[in-house]
Amino acid sequence: MHVIGSDTGTLEVRTKKAGAAAKAGHNLRMEVGAWQATIDLDAAAATLTADPRSFRVIEGTGGVLPLGADEKAAIPQTIDEEVLKGTPIEFSSTNVDVAGGRVHVQGDLDLFGTRRPVGFELELADGRVRGSARIKQSDWGVKPYSALFGTLKVADEVEIAVDARSQDDA
Amino acid sequence: MLELDHSFTTGKPADYNWDAIVDLDRVIPCVEGGRVVERTSPDEAKAEIVVKMGAMSLTFKGTVAVAERDETAHRATLRVKSREAGGAGYANADVAFLLNDGGGTIHTKAQISGKAASMGEGVVQTVLDALITDFTQKLATI
Repeated sequence: MHVIGSDTGTLEVRTKKAGAAAKAGHNLRMEVGAWQATIDLDAAAATLTADPRSFRVIEGTGGVLPLGADEKAAIPQTIDEEVLKGTPIEFSSTNVDVAGGRVHVQGDLDLFGTRRPVGFELELADGRVRGSARIKQSDWGVKPYSALFGTLKVADEVEIAVDARSQDDA
Repeated sequence: MLELDHSFTTGKPADYNWDAIVDLDRVIPCVEGGRVVERTSPDEAKAEIVVKMGAMSLTFKGTVAVAERDETAHRATLRVKSREAGGAGYANADVAFLLNDGGGTIHTKAQISGKAASMGEGVVQTVLDALITDFTQKLATI
Protein backbone atom coordinates (compact mmCIF):
# COMPACT_ATOMS: atom_id res chain seq x y z
CA MET A 1 0.00 0.00 0.00
CA HIS A 2 1.25 3.46 -0.87
CA VAL A 3 0.95 6.05 1.89
CA ILE A 4 1.47 9.70 1.05
CA GLY A 5 0.85 12.90 2.93
CA SER A 6 1.98 16.35 3.86
CA ASP A 7 5.21 14.97 5.29
CA THR A 8 6.22 13.41 1.97
CA GLY A 9 4.84 15.79 -0.63
CA THR A 10 2.41 18.49 -1.64
CA LEU A 11 -1.32 18.71 -2.23
CA GLU A 12 -1.99 21.91 -4.15
CA VAL A 13 -5.24 23.72 -4.86
CA ARG A 14 -5.13 26.08 -7.84
CA THR A 15 -7.84 28.63 -8.49
CA LYS A 16 -8.36 31.08 -11.35
CA LYS A 17 -9.96 34.50 -11.17
CA ALA A 18 -13.07 35.36 -13.14
CA GLY A 19 -15.73 38.05 -13.52
CA ALA A 20 -15.89 41.49 -15.08
CA ALA A 21 -13.31 42.82 -12.60
CA ALA A 22 -11.00 39.79 -12.88
CA LYS A 23 -8.10 42.18 -13.50
CA ALA A 24 -8.29 43.15 -9.84
CA GLY A 25 -7.88 39.57 -8.63
CA HIS A 26 -5.21 36.88 -8.59
CA ASN A 27 -4.84 33.31 -9.70
CA LEU A 28 -3.96 31.44 -6.55
CA ARG A 29 -1.68 28.50 -5.89
CA MET A 30 -2.36 27.13 -2.43
CA GLU A 31 -1.04 24.21 -0.46
CA VAL A 32 -2.96 22.04 1.96
CA GLY A 33 -0.76 21.87 5.04
CA ALA A 34 -2.15 18.70 6.61
CA TRP A 35 -3.37 15.74 4.55
CA GLN A 36 -2.88 12.02 4.13
CA ALA A 37 -3.79 9.57 1.39
CA THR A 38 -3.49 5.86 0.77
CA ILE A 39 -3.47 3.88 -2.46
CA ASP A 40 -3.87 0.14 -2.06
CA LEU A 41 -3.49 -1.48 -5.48
CA ASP A 42 -4.06 -4.99 -4.11
CA ALA A 43 -7.38 -4.03 -2.52
CA ALA A 44 -8.18 -1.60 -5.37
CA ALA A 45 -8.87 1.18 -2.89
CA ALA A 46 -7.77 4.76 -2.34
CA THR A 47 -8.54 7.30 0.39
CA LEU A 48 -7.70 10.88 1.22
CA THR A 49 -8.33 13.13 4.19
CA ALA A 50 -7.32 16.79 4.30
CA ASP A 51 -7.58 19.41 7.02
CA PRO A 52 -9.85 22.19 5.66
CA ARG A 53 -8.20 24.67 8.03
CA SER A 54 -4.64 24.04 6.86
CA PHE A 55 -4.61 25.96 3.58
CA ARG A 56 -1.81 28.41 2.88
CA VAL A 57 -1.19 30.59 -0.14
CA ILE A 58 2.03 29.86 -2.03
CA GLU A 59 1.59 32.51 -4.69
CA GLY A 60 -0.92 34.81 -6.32
CA THR A 61 -0.34 35.80 -9.92
CA GLY A 62 -1.96 37.90 -12.60
CA GLY A 63 -3.16 40.79 -10.43
CA VAL A 64 -2.70 44.47 -11.17
CA LEU A 65 -1.49 44.90 -7.61
CA PRO A 66 0.91 42.39 -6.05
CA LEU A 67 -0.48 40.00 -3.45
CA GLY A 68 1.27 40.95 -0.20
CA ALA A 69 2.05 38.89 2.86
CA ASP A 70 -0.98 40.26 4.72
CA GLU A 71 -3.31 39.28 1.90
CA LYS A 72 -1.71 35.83 1.64
CA ALA A 73 -2.34 35.34 5.34
CA ALA A 74 -5.93 36.60 5.09
CA ILE A 75 -7.01 34.28 2.27
CA PRO A 76 -6.98 31.02 4.31
CA GLN A 77 -9.07 32.80 6.95
CA THR A 78 -11.59 33.80 4.27
CA ILE A 79 -11.62 30.23 2.94
CA ASP A 80 -12.25 28.92 6.43
CA GLU A 81 -14.93 31.43 7.38
CA GLU A 82 -16.76 31.92 4.10
CA VAL A 83 -16.04 28.93 1.83
CA LEU A 84 -15.18 25.61 3.49
CA LYS A 85 -16.41 26.60 6.97
CA GLY A 86 -14.47 23.76 8.52
CA THR A 87 -16.36 21.03 6.66
CA PRO A 88 -14.35 17.81 6.18
CA ILE A 89 -12.44 17.05 2.99
CA GLU A 90 -12.51 13.29 2.48
CA PHE A 91 -12.27 11.00 -0.51
CA SER A 92 -12.92 7.29 -0.71
CA SER A 93 -12.71 5.29 -3.91
CA THR A 94 -15.40 3.18 -5.47
CA ASN A 95 -13.19 1.84 -8.24
CA VAL A 96 -9.43 1.69 -8.88
CA ASP A 97 -8.03 0.46 -12.21
CA VAL A 98 -4.33 -0.01 -12.84
CA ALA A 99 -2.88 0.20 -16.34
CA GLY A 100 0.89 0.19 -16.41
CA GLY A 101 2.13 2.97 -14.18
CA ARG A 102 -1.16 4.80 -14.31
CA VAL A 103 -4.00 4.41 -11.85
CA HIS A 104 -7.53 5.45 -12.75
CA VAL A 105 -9.50 6.28 -9.64
CA GLN A 106 -13.23 6.82 -9.27
CA GLY A 107 -14.84 7.64 -5.97
CA ASP A 108 -16.76 10.06 -3.78
CA LEU A 109 -15.44 13.35 -2.50
CA ASP A 110 -16.89 15.00 0.60
CA LEU A 111 -16.51 18.73 0.14
CA PHE A 112 -18.53 21.73 1.34
CA GLY A 113 -20.59 19.22 3.37
CA THR A 114 -21.73 17.37 0.23
CA ARG A 115 -20.63 14.03 -1.22
CA ARG A 116 -20.22 13.91 -5.00
CA PRO A 117 -18.54 11.47 -7.42
CA VAL A 118 -15.18 12.44 -8.93
CA GLY A 119 -12.61 10.71 -11.12
CA PHE A 120 -8.92 11.34 -11.68
CA GLU A 121 -5.71 9.68 -12.81
CA LEU A 122 -2.53 9.12 -10.83
CA GLU A 123 0.95 8.21 -12.00
CA LEU A 124 3.06 5.93 -9.85
CA ALA A 125 6.68 6.13 -10.91
CA ASP A 126 10.11 6.47 -9.36
CA GLY A 127 8.69 6.06 -5.87
CA ARG A 128 6.37 9.06 -6.31
CA VAL A 129 2.65 9.59 -6.75
CA ARG A 130 1.62 12.39 -9.08
CA GLY A 131 -1.70 13.44 -10.50
CA SER A 132 -4.37 16.06 -10.67
CA ALA A 133 -8.12 16.46 -10.79
CA ARG A 134 -10.39 19.29 -11.84
CA ILE A 135 -13.63 19.84 -10.00
CA LYS A 136 -16.42 22.37 -10.35
CA GLN A 137 -17.54 23.92 -7.09
CA SER A 138 -21.09 24.22 -8.45
CA ASP A 139 -21.23 20.41 -8.74
CA TRP A 140 -21.07 20.43 -4.92
CA GLY A 141 -23.87 23.00 -4.80
CA VAL A 142 -21.52 25.86 -3.97
CA LYS A 143 -21.57 29.28 -5.59
CA PRO A 144 -17.92 30.28 -6.09
CA TYR A 145 -16.62 33.02 -3.77
CA SER A 146 -17.08 36.53 -5.11
CA ALA A 147 -16.19 40.06 -4.06
CA LEU A 148 -16.58 43.61 -5.36
CA PHE A 149 -20.35 43.24 -5.61
CA GLY A 150 -20.02 40.04 -7.63
CA THR A 151 -17.74 41.54 -10.29
CA LEU A 152 -14.66 39.61 -9.06
CA LYS A 153 -15.05 35.85 -8.68
CA VAL A 154 -13.15 32.66 -8.17
CA ALA A 155 -13.67 30.56 -11.30
CA ASP A 156 -15.98 27.60 -10.81
CA GLU A 157 -13.35 25.05 -11.86
CA VAL A 158 -10.58 24.33 -9.35
CA GLU A 159 -7.52 22.15 -9.97
CA ILE A 160 -6.20 19.86 -7.25
CA ALA A 161 -2.74 18.42 -7.77
CA VAL A 162 -0.71 15.94 -5.77
CA ASP A 163 3.01 15.22 -5.94
CA ALA A 164 4.41 13.11 -3.11
CA ARG A 165 7.03 10.52 -2.33
CA SER A 166 5.37 7.23 -1.60
CA GLN A 167 6.03 5.43 1.65
CA ASP A 168 5.38 1.77 0.97
CA ASP A 169 3.41 0.63 4.00
CA ALA A 170 3.01 -2.94 2.81
CA MET B 1 -14.26 61.38 -15.69
CA LEU B 2 -16.73 58.53 -15.39
CA GLU B 3 -20.44 59.26 -15.67
CA LEU B 4 -23.11 56.76 -14.65
CA ASP B 5 -26.89 56.87 -14.40
CA HIS B 6 -29.06 54.80 -12.07
CA SER B 7 -32.58 54.81 -10.72
CA PHE B 8 -34.00 53.48 -7.51
CA THR B 9 -37.32 52.63 -5.95
CA THR B 10 -38.32 53.21 -2.35
CA GLY B 11 -42.09 53.19 -2.57
CA LYS B 12 -42.03 56.24 -0.31
CA PRO B 13 -43.22 59.84 -0.92
CA ALA B 14 -40.79 62.37 -2.41
CA ASP B 15 -40.54 64.32 0.85
CA TYR B 16 -39.53 61.13 2.69
CA ASN B 17 -36.90 60.36 0.04
CA TRP B 18 -35.60 63.93 0.26
CA ASP B 19 -35.18 63.74 4.03
CA ALA B 20 -33.28 60.47 3.68
CA ILE B 21 -30.87 61.62 0.96
CA VAL B 22 -29.82 64.87 2.65
CA ASP B 23 -29.34 63.12 6.00
CA LEU B 24 -25.68 62.06 5.74
CA ASP B 25 -25.98 59.80 8.79
CA ARG B 26 -28.60 57.77 6.92
CA VAL B 27 -27.29 57.87 3.38
CA ILE B 28 -23.54 57.24 3.84
CA PRO B 29 -23.96 53.78 5.48
CA CYS B 30 -26.03 52.77 2.43
CA VAL B 31 -22.72 52.60 0.54
CA GLU B 32 -21.25 49.14 1.16
CA GLY B 33 -18.19 49.62 3.40
CA GLY B 34 -19.07 53.27 4.04
CA ARG B 35 -19.34 54.93 7.43
CA VAL B 36 -19.56 58.37 8.95
CA VAL B 37 -16.40 59.15 10.89
CA GLU B 38 -17.51 62.55 12.19
CA ARG B 39 -20.29 65.01 11.48
CA THR B 40 -18.62 68.38 10.97
CA SER B 41 -21.78 70.36 10.10
CA PRO B 42 -25.42 69.64 9.21
CA ASP B 43 -24.38 69.43 5.55
CA GLU B 44 -20.95 67.82 5.82
CA ALA B 45 -19.33 64.75 7.31
CA LYS B 46 -15.94 63.13 7.46
CA ALA B 47 -16.38 59.62 6.11
CA GLU B 48 -14.51 56.57 4.90
CA ILE B 49 -15.24 53.68 2.61
CA VAL B 50 -13.51 50.33 2.62
CA VAL B 51 -13.77 48.56 -0.74
CA LYS B 52 -13.05 44.87 -0.24
CA MET B 53 -11.53 42.95 -3.13
CA GLY B 54 -11.46 39.53 -1.55
CA ALA B 55 -8.47 39.50 0.78
CA MET B 56 -7.31 42.88 -0.48
CA SER B 57 -9.04 46.13 0.30
CA LEU B 58 -8.74 49.80 -0.52
CA THR B 59 -9.72 52.46 2.01
CA PHE B 60 -10.70 55.97 0.99
CA LYS B 61 -11.00 58.72 3.62
CA GLY B 62 -12.44 62.16 3.06
CA THR B 63 -15.57 64.25 3.18
CA VAL B 64 -19.13 63.99 1.94
CA ALA B 65 -21.05 67.26 1.63
CA VAL B 66 -24.48 68.32 0.46
CA ALA B 67 -23.09 70.63 -2.21
CA GLU B 68 -26.34 71.64 -3.89
CA ARG B 69 -29.89 71.44 -2.65
CA ASP B 70 -33.26 72.46 -4.11
CA GLU B 71 -35.89 71.14 -1.76
CA THR B 72 -38.77 72.37 -3.91
CA ALA B 73 -37.55 70.47 -6.95
CA HIS B 74 -36.25 67.62 -4.77
CA ARG B 75 -32.78 67.90 -6.30
CA ALA B 76 -29.60 67.47 -4.29
CA THR B 77 -25.95 66.82 -5.07
CA LEU B 78 -23.64 65.05 -2.66
CA ARG B 79 -19.97 65.88 -3.24
CA VAL B 80 -17.46 63.21 -2.25
CA LYS B 81 -13.77 64.11 -1.89
CA SER B 82 -11.51 61.36 -0.65
CA ARG B 83 -7.93 60.16 -0.67
CA GLU B 84 -6.68 56.60 -0.69
CA ALA B 85 -5.38 55.67 2.77
CA GLY B 86 -1.68 54.89 2.58
CA GLY B 87 -1.49 55.82 -1.07
CA ALA B 88 -1.41 58.72 -3.48
CA GLY B 89 -4.74 58.01 -5.15
CA TYR B 90 -8.04 59.77 -4.75
CA ALA B 91 -11.72 59.18 -5.46
CA ASN B 92 -13.92 62.23 -5.99
CA ALA B 93 -17.51 62.25 -7.11
CA ASP B 94 -20.56 64.44 -7.56
CA VAL B 95 -23.66 62.35 -6.98
CA ALA B 96 -26.78 64.17 -8.19
CA PHE B 97 -30.17 62.96 -6.94
CA LEU B 98 -33.54 63.84 -8.43
CA LEU B 99 -36.23 62.49 -6.13
CA ASN B 100 -39.87 61.78 -6.78
CA ASP B 101 -42.73 59.86 -5.26
CA GLY B 102 -41.63 56.25 -5.13
CA GLY B 103 -37.89 56.71 -5.66
CA GLY B 104 -35.58 58.75 -7.84
CA THR B 105 -32.63 58.90 -10.21
CA ILE B 106 -28.91 59.27 -9.62
CA HIS B 107 -26.35 60.81 -11.97
CA THR B 108 -22.78 60.18 -10.84
CA LYS B 109 -19.65 61.92 -12.10
CA ALA B 110 -16.53 60.34 -10.64
CA GLN B 111 -12.78 60.83 -10.90
CA ILE B 112 -10.59 58.05 -9.54
CA SER B 113 -6.80 57.74 -9.50
CA GLY B 114 -4.15 55.60 -7.84
CA LYS B 115 -4.33 51.86 -7.18
CA ALA B 116 -8.02 51.62 -8.03
CA ALA B 117 -7.51 53.36 -11.37
CA SER B 118 -4.58 51.06 -12.18
CA MET B 119 -7.15 48.30 -12.76
CA GLY B 120 -8.22 50.15 -15.90
CA GLU B 121 -11.16 52.41 -16.68
CA GLY B 122 -13.36 49.52 -17.82
CA VAL B 123 -12.90 47.65 -14.54
CA VAL B 124 -13.36 50.81 -12.45
CA GLN B 125 -16.58 51.61 -14.32
CA THR B 126 -17.88 48.05 -13.84
CA VAL B 127 -17.11 48.09 -10.12
CA LEU B 128 -18.49 51.60 -9.62
CA ASP B 129 -21.66 50.63 -11.46
CA ALA B 130 -22.02 47.57 -9.22
CA LEU B 131 -21.33 49.65 -6.10
CA ILE B 132 -24.00 52.23 -7.01
CA THR B 133 -26.49 49.50 -7.96
CA ASP B 134 -25.93 47.96 -4.52
CA PHE B 135 -26.36 51.45 -3.02
CA THR B 136 -29.72 51.89 -4.80
CA GLN B 137 -30.91 48.55 -3.41
CA LYS B 138 -30.07 49.72 0.12
CA LEU B 139 -31.83 53.04 -0.53
CA ALA B 140 -34.99 51.02 -1.10
CA THR B 141 -34.97 50.15 2.59
CA ILE B 142 -33.79 53.47 3.97
